[in-house]
Amino acid sequence: MTAQQPLVDLRDITVSFGAVKALRGVSFDLRPGEVHALLGQNGAGKSTLIKVLSGVNQRDGGEVLIHGKETNFRSAQDSRDSGIAMVYQDLSLIPSMSVASNLFLGREPHVGAGLVRHRTIHAQAQKYLAEQGFPIKASARVDSLPFAYRQLTEIAKALMGDIKILVLDEPTSALSAGEEEILFKTVAEVTKRGVGVIYVTHRLQEVFRISDRVSVLRDGRNVGTHNTSEITMEKLVSEIVGPGHERMATDTLSVEEGDRRSAFQDDASVRSTAAPVVELRGVRNSRLNGVDLKVRPGEILGLAGMVGSGRTEILETMFGLRKADEGEVLFEGKSVRWRTPHQAIAAGVALVPEDRHLEGLVLEDTIAANIAMPRLPHLTRAGLFSKGEAQRRAKKAVADLNVKAPGIHTRLQNLSGGNQQKVVFGKWLTPEPRLLLLDEPSVGVDVGARDEIYGIIRRFARNGCAVVVVSSELVELQLLCDTLAVVHDGRVTTCVRSSEVQGEERLHHLVQEPAR
Amino acid sequence: MSTATSSPAPASTGDNSRRTAVRDLLSSDRPYGVLLALIALVIFFSIKSDVFFTGANLENIGRQTTLVTIMAVGMTFIIISAEIDLSVASILKLSCVSAALFMNDFSDNWALGALVGIGVGALIGLVNGLLTTKLGIPSFLVTLGMLGVAKGIAFVITDTAPVLVDNRTFWAVFYEGTIAGIPVPIVWTLIALAIGSVLLHLSTFGRKVYATGGNATAARYSGINTDRTKILCFVLTGVLAGLASLIFTAQGHAARPDFADGLELDVIAAVILGGTSLFGGRGTIIGTLIGSLIIGVLNNGLVLIGVSSSWQIAVKGFIIILAVALSKRR
Repeated sequence: MTAQQPLVDLRDITVSFGAVKALRGVSFDLRPGEVHALLGQNGAGKSTLIKVLSGVNQRDGGEVLIHGKETNFRSAQDSRDSGIAMVYQDLSLIPSMSVASNLFLGREPHVGAGLVRHRTIHAQAQKYLAEQGFPIKASARVDSLPFAYRQLTEIAKALMGDIKILVLDEPTSALSAGEEEILFKTVAEVTKRGVGVIYVTHRLQEVFRISDRVSVLRDGRNVGTHNTSEITMEKLVSEIVGPGHERMATDTLSVEEGDRRSAFQDDASVRSTAAPVVELRGVRNSRLNGVDLKVRPGEILGLAGMVGSGRTEILETMFGLRKADEGEVLFEGKSVRWRTPHQAIAAGVALVPEDRHLEGLVLEDTIAANIAMPRLPHLTRAGLFSKGEAQRRAKKAVADLNVKAPGIHTRLQNLSGGNQQKVVFGKWLTPEPRLLLLDEPSVGVDVGARDEIYGIIRRFARNGCAVVVVSSELVELQLLCDTLAVVHDGRVTTCVRSSEVQGEERLHHLVQEPAR
Repeated sequence: MSTATSSPAPASTGDNSRRTAVRDLLSSDRPYGVLLALIALVIFFSIKSDVFFTGANLENIGRQTTLVTIMAVGMTFIIISAEIDLSVASILKLSCVSAALFMNDFSDNWALGALVGIGVGALIGLVNGLLTTKLGIPSFLVTLGMLGVAKGIAFVITDTAPVLVDNRTFWAVFYEGTIAGIPVPIVWTLIALAIGSVLLHLSTFGRKVYATGGNATAARYSGINTDRTKILCFVLTGVLAGLASLIFTAQGHAARPDFADGLELDVIAAVILGGTSLFGGRGTIIGTLIGSLIIGVLNNGLVLIGVSSSWQIAVKGFIIILAVALSKRR
């Protein structure tokens, strides 16, 4: 098999977005019938590399060889025509239609006069599924299927036609353990027929479970490519994290030496006896399985864990978006049963949500309007909106948080990601909250703005606000947090002071192999 | 408004906010194209017809536009909050026959009658809002259903016959009187526009409406009760449809359940022409006024230049599509 020419051969690919170099010369190859895992932290260049292959991003330099022939994809269709199929995390199926109809969407076999014969479609679809080894019924409606089977349908759809190269981008992030098995079996089945699979993931255990080779990217460069059987998890983690990370982390530290670690650790003895701002006692609901957690004033608590582990749901429960079916939520010592964010906000809770476009901002509104949004009750005089006060607050927020914008009447859609995120923080600046919840606070934010955002978070904490941070970037958690809680399967499995975790590698291991 | 609360602030801030307020009132995101369209139509009809640009005829247009404008003010709120109300014309029917029947059967007090008409409108708006938000039925369907329900009830309780209203005060207050030389229907229109402007552009409620329509999730995550905001928009529209129904009744000295069919389309067209986004989050009262004036000018001008009534319908539809298409291009 290895003697065959590779299906995909990427050589020395470079990609830049403006001044940002996303890929600085990455090479990657895929052989027929293998699963080649692609690893790296957020921003390492995995998705850019995949997008070059799918024709979404154009390369600035390097060569793309598909089946040995040099190619240049100008669009996603070009890529598809060359036999490359992408399966993304977000599903592209029509839920109200059957599996068969979805498989044949846009390429229905016609029986004259443009009519579609459903029986033919179903029969053909069922035959195809059986041949390819997909355990799915063609007649089932997509929205009646469990999530894993929808994902399989997606893969089946992607493989229709003459597909030799399959790209799976974090396919298991939304699947339960049992559902993963079904996916792995299908992947094994597919590779038997000579299809090559590029498998992008954050979960190292899966790499050892299903991949033949593994490549690691860091900062837009290759770090290494190995046969999976010849490498250990320790080695992989250190490659992902990189040797420079300790130094890098310290650099950032020295910039904010005084700010770092907030005031919390200095007089830890005093603070640790302070009454918690928020406390969860055995909280259970549809996504949480008994969470115990305390956050004290001035403390920055980090929630580490895989996507889907329940990190976000803990924040949502503290923000009145989810109810605790069992157990108790205490806010400033009092048991609370919030049903809407409105109640949480009135009590002094603030949320910087994961998806600022969807949940944080009204993009077509101005900076001033967005900053006023959560504080409307404070900005009302006799029913009228106090525009002067709102503008004063917006100006203060823009100045304090160093938002780069022409003015407070600039629409959010015209700001960069980092500045948009600063505006989300600005919403909660006056008055400052008692509890600040942050879900992936630096996603889609450039490096400079990220450091500023860390400064903002620390300032909230120094002023006595309790902070809870959810982040997939472990460096970020170690930099920011006083305390770390590892979340796994809707429970907090480990709770440590971040000073006790030596190096990011240790934290990686805590997250990858949660205490059982 | 804002300047009053920020009096200690430097003068420049005050100026700024005053300028912003003026800008907010006079501008919307893209009303200029539609304003030009209105001016073009006025010029066109003035050239084509001697009577068009006369005081009497302009007053006529004002009177004829009243119903559409008043209801369009409410519709602006609903559409900015990313909902729709197809039932406004039926609310108008049921409100006016309720007011008329009440005055005939229970009390000839014009004020009580007016209150009944407005109350019925508010109630239907409340039902629309509750069904849309609490049951999660799309407002398109809720109000499509309500269009039939309200109209049907109006027919049933009147036996499909007009209900005469013989109350001179009522006629005077809602149609025949003048204040400082301005006919009352136009005064009522101005009142509705003023209340709409203050609510939408100066009150906290207006901020909630924009936020709810701009991004309901972000609004909810910011502590805004998006359900209540939407319900209030529906109630406001119901109230204004009730007010319009009183003017309509006073005009004909009777409440007629068989009139005003299809008026909701004029109302929605006026709002959309005025630059309010059907996807929510954007729009202004001044834009809506321009939009309904375009509808009014078309209705009036096409008659004056002798376009047959069948052609009027087609031409009006065509011009609406054209105007919206032009305003889409930025």
